[in-house]
Order: sequence, then C-alpha cells, then structure tokens
Amino acid sequence: MRTLTLVWAIVRKELIDGARDRRALTSLVFSAMIAPLLFGIMFTVAAERRKSADEIVLPVEGVEYAPAFVDWLTQQSGVVIVAPPADAEKAVSSRAEDVVLIIDKDFAKNMSRAVPAPVKLVSDVTRDSARPKVSRVRNLVATYSSQTSALRLIARGVAPSVASAVRIEEVEVSSSQQRLAQQLSILPLLLVIAALTGGMQIAIDSTAGERERGSLEPLLLNPVPRGALAAGKWLASSAFGCGAVLFSMLLTVNVMRRVPWHDLGIRFRVTDGELMSLLVLILPLVLFLSALVLFASTFARSFKEAQTYLGMLMMLPMLPGLLSTMYPLGGRPWLAPVPVLGQYALSADVLGGTPPGVLFYAMAGVSVLACALLLVWLTARLLRREAIVFGR
Amino acid sequence: MIVITGLRKHFGHVEAVRNVSLSAADGSVTGLLGPNGAGKTTTLRMLSGLMRPDAGTILVDGADVVADPIGAQRYMGLLPDSRGLYPRLTPREHIRYFGELHGMATGEIRERSDALLKRLGLEAIADRRVAGFSQGERTKVALARALVHGPRNVILDEPTNGLDVMSTRAMRGLIRGLKQDGCCVVFSSHIMPEVSALCDRIVVIAQGTVMADGTPDDLRAQTGKPDLEDAFVALAGLDPEAVE
Repeated sequence: MRTLTLVWAIVRKELIDGARDRRALTSLVFSAMIAPLLFGIMFTVAAERRKSADEIVLPVEGVEYAPAFVDWLTQQSGVVIVAPPADAEKAVSSRAEDVVLIIDKDFAKNMSRAVPAPVKLVSDVTRDSARPKVSRVRNLVATYSSQTSALRLIARGVAPSVASAVRIEEVEVSSSQQRLAQQLSILPLLLVIAALTGGMQIAIDSTAGERERGSLEPLLLNPVPRGALAAGKWLASSAFGCGAVLFSMLLTVNVMRRVPWHDLGIRFRVTDGELMSLLVLILPLVLFLSALVLFASTFARSFKEAQTYLGMLMMLPMLPGLLSTMYPLGGRPWLAPVPVLGQYALSADVLGGTPPGVLFYAMAGVSVLACALLLVWLTARLLRREAIVFGR
Repeated sequence: MIVITGLRKHFGHVEAVRNVSLSAADGSVTGLLGPNGAGKTTTLRMLSGLMRPDAGTILVDGADVVADPIGAQRYMGLLPDSRGLYPRLTPREHIRYFGELHGMATGEIRERSDALLKRLGLEAIADRRVAGFSQGERTKVALARALVHGPRNVILDEPTNGLDVMSTRAMRGLIRGLKQDGCCVVFSSHIMPEVSALCDRIVVIAQGTVMADGTPDDLRAQTGKPDLEDAFVALAGLDPEAVE
C-alpha cells in the first residue's frame, strides 16, 4: 500500500513535469499525427487516381486518319477526346499530359488492306500516377482491335473463337478485405511508432535527464525502493505512449470514415471493432516499449547520449513492421508471445478479416507485460549502481 | 547522532577513503575540513547510503546505513554535492514531491513547506518555476526539499559553494538554527572563516584519513599555530612552502 502511494507520487510528478515540457507534448502530438495523415493522403490519392482512370481526357493526334476509330472511342463511357499538344513526346516527358495517342497517316490504308494499322501510345513508364490511365487507353485500343478482327473473321466465314487459342479467366482469391489489408498493413507499424515516440521524451527526461541535471542523486536520498522509482517513471512514460496511440487511433478512425471506399472499388470497410482489436493488441505493447526506452536511456549520461542510443534502438521494433508490409505476417498467430513480432502478426490477421482467438490476445498481452516488468526490474537494478548514480 | 567507524572505499587502484572514523553529536555542528580530493564527498556519499563502503560501519541514530540504507535515510536530511532541480517545477512542488517520497501526509507537507519557504526567504518565488533561478535560490530550494521531513541529522556537502554574501549569511543562520533545534549537523567545507565561525568540532581529512579531530581551539593548541588556516595546512600535511 505504502509502495503504491510512493509510485503514484512519482507518476504524478513525472506527468506534471511532462505536461509542462514542450518537447514531450510535441513528440506526443507529432507521433499521433503520422498515421492519420499518411492514411488520409494515401487513400485520397488512390481514389483520385482511380477516378482519373475512369474518366479520361485523351489527347489524340491524327484524328482525321481514323474517323471510325475516334467515333468508337468517343462512344466509350468516360472518354473525352481532345486536341493533341504540339509535341506529344515533349508534353508527356514534361508531365503536361499523362498519355497521348497518335494515329498514323497509314491507319485507314492498312485497315482497308487488313494489315495491322499503326497507332502510337506515348507514355512515361516511371510515372506511377499515370499508370491506370495508360492501361485504360491500352485496353480501349486492344478492345477495338479484337472487335474489328472478330468482324473480319466473321466476314470471311470463320468463327472468331478460332483466333483465340487460350482464354484467361482471372480468379482473384484475395478478398477485397485482404486487398485492403495489404494497404492497411502499414497501420500497426504507425501505431508502434506512436507508442514508441509518444512516451519517449518522458522516459529520457526521467532517467538520462535526471542524471544530466544532477537531480538523480538527491532523488535517491529519499527512502524509496528503487523498484518503486523505476515503476513510477515507467508508468508515467507509458501513460504518454498510450495517449499517443489512442489519439492516433481516434484520428485514424475519423480519416477512415471519410475515405471514399466506393471510388477505391472496395466494398468492405474497416470496422470500428477491428480498430478496437488493434488497440487491445497495441496498448499492452506500449508498456513494453516504454520499459525498453526507460532501460536504455538509464545508461545515458545526458539527453543527447540517450537519443543516440534510442536512434539505434528505434529501428528494432520498426524493422519487422517495415518487413511485414512486404512479407505479410498474417496467418502466424503462434508468433503471439514474441513481443512486437506477435503484435504485427495478430494485427495482420485482424485487418485481413480472420481475427485470431482471444487466447492469442491474452498470450501476447501477458508476454509483453512480463518482458516489460523484467526491464523495469533491470532498470531498478541499474539505479543501484554507483557508476550510474554518481557518473555524470 | 552519527557514528562512523573504520570507513574504507577504493575506486580501481585509488584509495579514496582509507580509514575514516568520526562521531557527530546532537545539538552540535561538525565540520569536515579537507583539501580538494581528500575524500570528503566520498565519505558523505557513503554516509548517505548511496555508496557502499568496502569496510566500516555507519550508524545514524542507531540505524545501520550499510545494512539498511533506506531505513537510515529517514533520519537524515542531505544536501549533496549535486543539487539538480526540475526546471519545470516550482519550489513548493519540489518540497511536496520529496515530502510525498518520505510518506508524509498532505497537510503535514503543506505546514512544513510553508515554514521552510518562510525560513529560507523563498516565499516570494515559491510558486515560480525554478528555471532561471539564481545559484543561491537553487541551493535554498535544494535545502528546503532535503529538510521537508524534519530530519534530526542534517548533512550538507559544501553548502555555501557558489553563494553570494547574503546567501552565505542566510545559510549560516540556518545552520545555527538547526543546531539550536538540537539537530546533529555535519557539513563539509574548505572555507576557513566559515568553519571557524560555525563549528563546534572540526574533523580534518586529507588523503582519505582523519588527520585531526577536535574543537578549533584544540587544533590551534595541537599545532601551536594561532591561525586556524595555518593549523589546517599543517594538519592536512600540506607543505606551506609549496602552496605559496
């Protein structure tokens, strides 16, 4: 009971101190903003691109050589034919146009002789944003070509099916939910960043900061067990970390509600329940990450030194997150007890629409809590070392 | 009452404290006098319970510092060598934090902190953040938080270091006040007039050992030098020729 009162006194002091620290507040707000901002931009841009492929404005050069073809193009939904720029290649390379279609002057002649009629598609393969539009135009030309050749075959008394030896039928096994998960697989990573950086300032300030200011020695003169001190500092830092994660989640939910899912061609949406499941996974992880930062920065004599250590340490929990966006960790719930990796694996399943069982959540939670307590205990031991108490 | 016997501490190959024994009585001021690097701060750190001696015992009002540092810390108020404050907290919040860490009740802390702020002349700035405080104000805040639990044994490591004339006088007044209250005051210094003005007993430490122990008059008589500074130089084994 007495120890709890002591821990609370330390938590309260660190929270007051942190709330008055501009650096701590900035890092909390900034870390919380990353996820919603990134998603807002990502989804809006994706929706815009899809829209731009559905309704295309296509500059065509040599309209006069193929009136029938141009008429057909104009009749396709969402296609507007406009006058071409003076120099098509220059216009595309300078990004004035996404794509330009050039009809050769021999088009009509070749058509009538049933020889492939030449058209040029001017585009820039390095431009991601133009890719849906370019492929739409390519498809339009291919459709016109196959329709025309089918008519030719019929005119010669041949069934058009003779000309296509193989027919591809695409069977997409990933559900739209899974495709969305692919895009959302970055969300756990962003939440981990928020968890890590949200409470980092307090963790550094209450360990390396105490050493740098010379306030650690006076603090340790009070009759307080080292464990209570480490626990108080850990909880205060975790509180800020949790604040960052919750704040980040709240903003992300708001962004998700505004995403034009229809324009993205996605029928499913991320439910609030799924986001809640993510919170249940990530919040206990905050306790572990705060303990890790606290332990590491206790070694540092100053703020700067701590930041150097943490710069390296930060990569550790982020690396699996980055890798998981390339090599999905989904379908491996047995990773649950491994701190960080387990959270990424279970989050992938949640977002993929195959939520793991309660047992896995419990395993993940208990495991990170145990690791956190171990780190807090180690930090308490460090606070007994003379080299750390007096080393400035 | 502080009783130290046969204290030893080494760092690597350096023997910082070889053999220090001393006792400091209640209601008196004991000065720890010694040149820089004599082992004063190391001795006080061991007394505070934060540093473990290689050998020796330390008893504070009967509590064994080496065996149970946290238990013994309750009887002590310490102004250590490093007296860092939290720049974003006010003096009142500093006192309150340390009071809470001593397990004091809120009302008790408030009473005690009002009294300390008044006694140290910090009332006007009691609710201002300490960032930007002068050296004297900082030392006073550090002292106030160290005394919040009303300790019977007060240990001050070079308390007037870096203070101006007025702050030094205030500090001396406080030390006399603590003595009148019956506290056992131990302070370390290398400022001779201060030691001679305040101390009932002087313990001269040099090269990690106690060179002399007695009243200022004892020390003068022992060395046959009427000036305390000359007596100190002789006792500390410092060669006056080399010093000048």
